[in-house]
Amino acid sequence: MRRRPRRTRSKTTVNIVLAVICLIWLIPTVGLFISSFRPATEILKSGWWTVFPHKENVATHTITLPKDTDLRQPIEVDGTMYTDDQLRSGAKAPDGSVFVWENRRARTISVQQSGWTMNTNFTTENYEGVLTGKQYQITDTDGSVKTKKGNGLSRAFLNTVTVSIPATIIPILIATFAAYAFAWLRFPLRKTMFVIVIMLLVVPLQVAMIPVLKDYTALGLNGTFLGVWIAHAGFGLPLATYFMYSYISQLPKDLFESAFMDGASNFTIFTRLILPLAVPSIASISIFQFLWVWNDYLVSLVFIGNQPNVQVLSMKIADMVGTRGNDWHLLTAAAFISMLMPLAVFFGLQKYFVRGLLGGSVKG
Amino acid sequence: MKNMRKTGFLLTAIILVLSVMLAACGKNNDKNASSNPPSSVEPSVSPSSEPSSEPSESASTDMSALDEALAGKYKGTKVTMFGPFTDADQVKFEVAIKDFEDKTGIDIQYEGSKEFEATVSIRVDGGNAPDIADFPQPGLLNTFVKSGKVIDVSTFMDMDRLKGNYNKSWLDMATMKGPSGDIMAGIWARSSVKSLVWYPKKAFEEAGYTVPKTWDELMALTEQIAKDGDPAWAIGIESGAATGWPATDWVEDIMLRTTSPENYDKWVNGELPFTDDIVKNAVKKMSEIWMNKDYVYGGTKSIVTTSFGDSSTVLFDNPPKAWLHRQASFITSFFPQNLKSGEDYDWFYFPSIDPQYGNPVLVAGDIYAMFNDRPEVRAVMEFFTTGESLKTWIQSGGVIAPMNDAKPEWYTSDVERRMAELAKNATTLRFDGSDLMPGSVGAGTFWKGMTDYVSGTVDLDGAMKEIQAGWKQ
Repeated sequence: MRRRPRRTRSKTTVNIVLAVICLIWLIPTVGLFISSFRPATEILKSGWWTVFPHKENVATHTITLPKDTDLRQPIEVDGTMYTDDQLRSGAKAPDGSVFVWENRRARTISVQQSGWTMNTNFTTENYEGVLTGKQYQITDTDGSVKTKKGNGLSRAFLNTVTVSIPATIIPILIATFAAYAFAWLRFPLRKTMFVIVIMLLVVPLQVAMIPVLKDYTALGLNGTFLGVWIAHAGFGLPLATYFMYSYISQLPKDLFESAFMDGASNFTIFTRLILPLAVPSIASISIFQFLWVWNDYLVSLVFIGNQPNVQVLSMKIADMVGTRGNDWHLLTAAAFISMLMPLAVFFGLQKYFVRGLLGGSVKG
Repeated sequence: MKNMRKTGFLLTAIILVLSVMLAACGKNNDKNASSNPPSSVEPSVSPSSEPSSEPSESASTDMSALDEALAGKYKGTKVTMFGPFTDADQVKFEVAIKDFEDKTGIDIQYEGSKEFEATVSIRVDGGNAPDIADFPQPGLLNTFVKSGKVIDVSTFMDMDRLKGNYNKSWLDMATMKGPSGDIMAGIWARSSVKSLVWYPKKAFEEAGYTVPKTWDELMALTEQIAKDGDPAWAIGIESGAATGWPATDWVEDIMLRTTSPENYDKWVNGELPFTDDIVKNAVKKMSEIWMNKDYVYGGTKSIVTTSFGDSSTVLFDNPPKAWLHRQASFITSFFPQNLKSGEDYDWFYFPSIDPQYGNPVLVAGDIYAMFNDRPEVRAVMEFFTTGESLKTWIQSGGVIAPMNDAKPEWYTSDVERRMAELAKNATTLRFDGSDLMPGSVGAGTFWKGMTDYVSGTVDLDGAMKEIQAGWKQ
């Protein structure tokens, strides 16, 4: 009876701490989200936080100084002398208001009082630009101007799905087979091979790019989905194998022995026992692999390139900003659209995720 | 439960089978691209013989690849092309080549990448070079020429026609040193003029300012604007990993105006060190504007942190917060959408400083180089040497043609037509020096050194030493 209130209190503390940490983690995302609804000119002028009610100096009236005021001498405003620098950054007037240049050229000064404002200039243009494609003005050979519509994200989105799903399934399927073999089958060089797999974990994929590309050129796999699936599968296998191994090797031995006694083959054991039992860890490694493939830029850049029929989302988004980055404001909206799928996958498989995080840690 | 699991497994299997089928489709595509064996037509000229010595013969006896292509000989072939421009530029490019594609039946598959510089090296090393690559920086192309990977276009092109269609300095810039002597490494396609100062025309005239013709007038105007209450210049050099490049353009432009073109060439080749007084003098001239906090919008400190593209937008605030912006012709794509060229904004020539060096013009451009020698690729390359290949792009705005047969009336705005004329009538035409220098300097210490100098972390001497050190890498 006595303990109860204490426990609740400590729970509240934990919750508050967690909420604060969550908030800090979320701030950049929230900022990006708000920015994605603001026009580019506004983003340049003020921060995203100005959309919330905040205290700011609001102009009440303007004072016009004589036209011939020399800006490099102290300037008299309302009987007090100020320097140009002070008036640029805003100078405190005796009555508490602030003097700041409104138009230096016209020599007008705005008198500001602090008050509450919020910035409510929102637009969906960024999302429209990203989703439906931008408009381009093209002049044709005969001199007529026509508007050409660029491609939206839909094609790239589908391409990314086409790349990501097999590139998640293939390595994990192979890794699960391999993990079972490493964990429960006895064959020569088993340990050596397993050590090699573990060693491959530390090899950065960048060193393999040019050699693999050379082989792909010989095989004609460049710019094809199959090529990128194999590449992703190869780069993802060591981690997936290790991850699945640490889970499958923990399953009780008796289970397989009794199945074996009943006449089950290795394949039956694998499909009937291992796969169902390993679902949680398969799900969690799938999340990892899927997120990695979905967000990947480098592997796609090298192995499938930028042709519109195979272009993936991350590359399409990079292209959208234009040759010289003039359409940077589209990035905010594009980022959120590209996040939709990973978020859906994450929340869909969320319950496995925490379990998966512990997957490798229980047994080293 | 059992059934569900079975279906799940079946589903996986089906997806796998489907994926293999899809892959097979993808593969077919690729095979088509490389189905044509190289050169069934005679290239006839060996690289060592002089193609220009007997021009009439080579021009009349065998048809050029372009003529053959227009006759429909290469119908159904594909030419892959890889370049740095994307988005709007890509659309304009594709419209410009559409007519050629329809006539010849050659499919030019352009692929643009923001990571062109890095990717093209990987592809060439990986044996997956595109047929044609578009290099915005000749310095980068030079490294491929040195390793002998680039095809000498003078082996099949009619050099007299090229000489007639390009200013000599363009052709000189395309000649690079390969492993077996000098080769013509590519052909120039689109260019932009850099020696331009943009200003908000309407407001500029209302304020009673006049376009300066000399450097002294420019400085007087700057001072006048400062007196009137505004900083004259909008300057920003932030550009992500390339931060500092607009500063290098300024230095190059001023170098052309304070020293001889020969010295400029020496400087670009690394024979005239950055620590020389000639270069320092140019940077000092630049500092007269850059280092004066009354002359730069936001003060000198904000130059490094302001994005090069967005820095220009303050010219079009009402009233303008700054009045002048020195940048190449492409900057108009950063201007607010609703502005009219020639009315709301215009440019004037970045004035000369020392009259003895005339009116030099700094340009930049893209050079198309060829990696695979097939007849249809030759045809496409020859097509790119004609002004026709840029026609609709010129009409849509954004490029200046380096070819002489591009007609002035194609430029839909006076603003761009004057740029083309400026480049044509220049007493000295020089390419952006930092793009010609090796990457360790031109895209390395030069950018970084200028950024450090402007931000005030090093003094002039320190910055010049830092930049010069890039040559040793």
